[in-house]
Amino acid sequence: MKSGSNLERVLAAGHFAVTVELGPPMDCDAMVVLEKAKMLKGVADAYNITDNQTAVVRMSSIAAALLIAREGLEPVMQMTCRDRNRLAIQSDILGGAALGIRNCLCIAGDHQSFGAAGKLKGHPGAKNVYDIDSIQLLTVLKGMRDEGKQQGGDPIAVRPALFIGAAWTPMGDPMEFRPIRLKKKVEAGADFIQTQGVYDVEQFQNQMRIVRDIGLHEKTAILAGIIVPKSLGMLKYMHNAVAGVSVPDALMKRMSQAKAAAGDDKKQAKLNQEEEGINIAVELIEQVRAIPGVKGVHVQAIEWEHKVPEILKRADLLPRPMVGAAETAAQGG
Amino acid sequence: MIVGERKPFRELKGFIEDYRKVMIVGCGTCATVCFAGGESEVRVVASALRIAFLREGKEREIIEDCVTRQCEPEFVETVVQKVNDQNVEAVLSLACGVGVNFVAGKLDDVPVFPGINTKFFGATVEPGVWVEMCAGCGNCILHLTGGICPVARCSKSILNGPCGGSSDGKCEVSPEVDCAWTLIIQRMKKLGTLDHLSQIIEPRDWSTSRHGGPRRVVHEELKSVDAANQQG
Amino acid sequence: MAEASVTENVVAAAPCTAACPVQTDTRQYVEFITQGKYEEALELLLDANPFSSVCGRICHHPCEQQCRRSKVDAPVGLRQLKRFVVESTREYRLSRRKPIAPTRKERIAVIGSGPGGLTAAHDLARLGFKVVVYEKWHTPGGMLGTAIPRYRLPYEVLEEDIDDILSLGVELRTGCEIGRDLRIEDLRREGCKAILIATGLSESRTLGVPGIDSTGVLLAIPFLRTVRLGENPLLGDRVVVIGGGNVAIDVARCARRFGVEKVSLVSLESRQEMPAWEWEIEEAIQEGIEVQNSWGPRTVFAENGTVRGIELKRCTSVFDEAGRFSPRFDEGDVLTLLSDTIIIAIGQRSDLTCIEGSAVKVAGDRLEYDPETLATTETGIFACGEVVTGPGAAVEAVREGHRAAKAMLHYLDTGEFLRQPPSELLALGEMPLETAEKVRRRAPVIPELISPERRVRDFSEIERGFTEAEALAEAKRCLACTTGALVDEAKCAACLTCVRICPFGVATVERTAAMPQEQCLACGLCAAECPAAAIALKRFGTNQMRRELEGLLATGDEPKHLRPLIVSYCCLFEVTSRRLVRAEPSDVARTGVARVMVPCVARLSVLDMLTPFELGADGVVIISCMEGDCLYPTAEERLSSRVRKAKSILDEIGLGGERIDHWKTETSAEVSWSAFWEISKRKLRTLGG
Repeated sequence: MKSGSNLERVLAAGHFAVTVELGPPMDCDAMVVLEKAKMLKGVADAYNITDNQTAVVRMSSIAAALLIAREGLEPVMQMTCRDRNRLAIQSDILGGAALGIRNCLCIAGDHQSFGAAGKLKGHPGAKNVYDIDSIQLLTVLKGMRDEGKQQGGDPIAVRPALFIGAAWTPMGDPMEFRPIRLKKKVEAGADFIQTQGVYDVEQFQNQMRIVRDIGLHEKTAILAGIIVPKSLGMLKYMHNAVAGVSVPDALMKRMSQAKAAAGDDKKQAKLNQEEEGINIAVELIEQVRAIPGVKGVHVQAIEWEHKVPEILKRADLLPRPMVGAAETAAQGG
Repeated sequence: MIVGERKPFRELKGFIEDYRKVMIVGCGTCATVCFAGGESEVRVVASALRIAFLREGKEREIIEDCVTRQCEPEFVETVVQKVNDQNVEAVLSLACGVGVNFVAGKLDDVPVFPGINTKFFGATVEPGVWVEMCAGCGNCILHLTGGICPVARCSKSILNGPCGGSSDGKCEVSPEVDCAWTLIIQRMKKLGTLDHLSQIIEPRDWSTSRHGGPRRVVHEELKSVDAANQQG
Repeated sequence: MAEASVTENVVAAAPCTAACPVQTDTRQYVEFITQGKYEEALELLLDANPFSSVCGRICHHPCEQQCRRSKVDAPVGLRQLKRFVVESTREYRLSRRKPIAPTRKERIAVIGSGPGGLTAAHDLARLGFKVVVYEKWHTPGGMLGTAIPRYRLPYEVLEEDIDDILSLGVELRTGCEIGRDLRIEDLRREGCKAILIATGLSESRTLGVPGIDSTGVLLAIPFLRTVRLGENPLLGDRVVVIGGGNVAIDVARCARRFGVEKVSLVSLESRQEMPAWEWEIEEAIQEGIEVQNSWGPRTVFAENGTVRGIELKRCTSVFDEAGRFSPRFDEGDVLTLLSDTIIIAIGQRSDLTCIEGSAVKVAGDRLEYDPETLATTETGIFACGEVVTGPGAAVEAVREGHRAAKAMLHYLDTGEFLRQPPSELLALGEMPLETAEKVRRRAPVIPELISPERRVRDFSEIERGFTEAEALAEAKRCLACTTGALVDEAKCAACLTCVRICPFGVATVERTAAMPQEQCLACGLCAAECPAAAIALKRFGTNQMRRELEGLLATGDEPKHLRPLIVSYCCLFEVTSRRLVRAEPSDVARTGVARVMVPCVARLSVLDMLTPFELGADGVVIISCMEGDCLYPTAEERLSSRVRKAKSILDEIGLGGERIDHWKTETSAEVSWSAFWEISKRKLRTLGG
């Protein structure tokens, strides 16, 4: 065991893992976090707390992680390279580990210009850091955990016990390079992978085939990303504006038909689409589960967290297995 | 070359409008080539400012000048001479930030204002279009990335790219920005060295860049023999 | 800041200037024409050539032969443009006549009033000498006055030139033959310190064939003199002219005009070898003259002493291997032509009567002289023109007259002889084919000759001159050689902008930019865009235009300008008369429009568009030529981009980009320009101040 985290143990025991995403608020309202935690308790093996996602300032991942840990949920803390240099990163890792956080997802982070989108003003003029990139971040964490060394070389006596995760965009551009990048991440130290949302299962299967050929599926646990669609509009947005996500026509059509079936009744149309969205999410989970090498799913239901239990139930992923329950008790909680 | 863009007239006028005798100095090197502050631009700026002052009924004298480079003491010396001889009260420099710094340093007691916003080191990708290509990081790694700089041309300066944000070869920041890593992969494929990218590039020592503090390059053999002549 | 230095770098002359025997600055007078500066053009012409009216009619135009436009489509009609200048400035020319009071004591005699002698007299009179010209005939002008028929050169035209010269105070004594009426020693006794013999080749040569003395055999020069006097030479029905030069052609064409149906011209030379100008031969053939090449006279047949015909023998070659005149014949190949009049025009010889009693020596049938000092064997006596060089063209005689005047001045000043070795101007090289191909073709304006049938009816002038619109259109075709772009290397940053912009692919950059003069067509596009202001053009410098503007807009003591005040840059090439071209400051005050004519407005830089506002204008109007008319490819688009840039700058400073209007001429300048100004003014009024 590298970290002894619940996620690690579930995967080690051979179960199909489930992680769920939980977004913290743009203010310091702890209640929001706690309510989401209550809603989602027990439905996943670990819960990702995003870190200033899309460059929008939110309650920090570590703080929110601690809040949910106190409620008995196992957090996955997220660390972006955009906002912190290597000193702050290592400092936060040590702090997080001291607080009992055992999973950490290393990502580059969207460019700060993303924060100014839609109605939000964000901080597009902020200086971005990117002292190290996401792959280098993995090596830093690994170095801290396995060699007991800071990146600069100074020793770490009590090492952080971390289950290290990385993101992967299997259908990103250029697609041929993505398996190679995954390899690099695995070499750098990624114990588990959470992918960008998959809608085009066939394409994902192709990429997974290549991944299996290189043997990466055995060196790291790949959790396929499932983004629950709420509407046709959302699917279109995903397809057009989110890099590495493409939605096949068939799904678009289904959603479109669902909307059309309601005719002029807007309320009904919304309900139809939501229902179809859940159907699609469940199907996707089932499809990716069938792909060899896929060890779990990472479910994202942005501002729709209350539907997650239903989805996981229909996908026959509940209840979650209990593996070494005693060790999941949060430290210092 | 260093690429910059002229500041809006509003700003330029704001800098100098309280001075009665102003000199506008252009630079004959980078600023000329990127159409930001060469002699032609000096004339146009001078003309526009004169027109603006004429409209306001303000009497202002605007002198025009241009030197080969504003980053060289001998060339800047002529500017200093002229400023002193003609009792110029303020100088508007259309050179890059280096020029403004340098001229301001030589003209200790006469204010020097920046006429252009210096943007980047770049190349002409097509007539009229200049693109950033170098970040002056002080430790060039272009041999590792097929000649395409990830520090300057990747929005996140990722050294093990690409991130997941690129689509159709364009950066998530803007569809006008090429994803540098897509370019690097394509280039190295052509060069037959794509497998080199499997190697992880370690976290970088940024101290050679501006992050390490303002830098200096010295060629001892060129330094003045006569110590008394050495200028700081 | 200094304007990029321009003139010193140009080493070569425009080929038209280099080809002209008197090195007339041809390109410049053509430019003057486009600018409506006809008087300035006249001054330039007369400065080089006092016989400009004559040459505007009959010069063999070596300038046109060398005109670089030939490589594109056809040479510029330089001779006709010259004619246009003299015809448009008659009043001005009369008004500038002024006798020059002699300032030198020395008296000079010129023997012979042809173009050589009179040119020398002209120059020497202007230098303050008292000059007397002695002419054996009763009318002046030499061959110009007697041998060139008036359908080519009307007498009044010759008189224009001669009267100008005489008005300087030159004394002309016609009907006075030196050597007979007066002798050189008499001239010396009268006080002449220097004497110029310019008697030309005033007599015809004859042939030594049997029957040459028969009645009906005439010599060319006496024949032409008869025609000149207005007398009927009484020709028969069939005239044969012997000779292949211009005089022979003139003789033949005169014969036709006396109603002779059958006129044949027999020449030793083949058609290509004939020394007459090609166009003369063409016109003669059109007029029905039969040209028989490669025949030489053998015998003249006569009956009762009167010509009946001529027997010709085949000429197998005219020149020997060294190029000398040495005809060979095939006596067995003969041709007989019936005729009742034979006119011999095989060449001229000099009349050397004037040297009687002097120490001037003879060499062959010419005078012995030094071609560089123009001195004869008697000190103080000089010679110039055909009497020493052999046959030559009118404009060459003018050149020799100039040289003679210089030689005589030097001699009178110093007592020594000035060496004037032949000088040739280095001419600009040929235009490369790639460049010529890119130039927009424009057919030359060639006023049609009167039809041959009408021509032979009388001696009316067969060619008409340009109308003003035609002259301006033809002058526009000039490629302005040698006035192209020059780069100030100190300023050039090698940014490559000129290379990218040049529509003719002329500009190149090595360490700095260069525009080879052989290729540059002076469009001005590079200069307008150069960010280092390193390019200047000899043709239309920006500082010149700024000065012009300052002059136009100066209020000083003038009444306040009519507001709104517009500076209008107008395409010079669109005008069809010079009314629109010249703008006086009073025009500006009255109309509120200050016109600046620009040879293609696409050369205007952004600064040029702003400068008028600095000088107090309320608006700027730019008028290009008509859609699709622009001489230079891409120029219209480039200009439009610059106008947009200038407008955005005016927006930035709060003046408003609407103050600049860019129009394209419609129908014609005269029709549309004033309408454009009105519209622009109206808009400016609504914008206020």
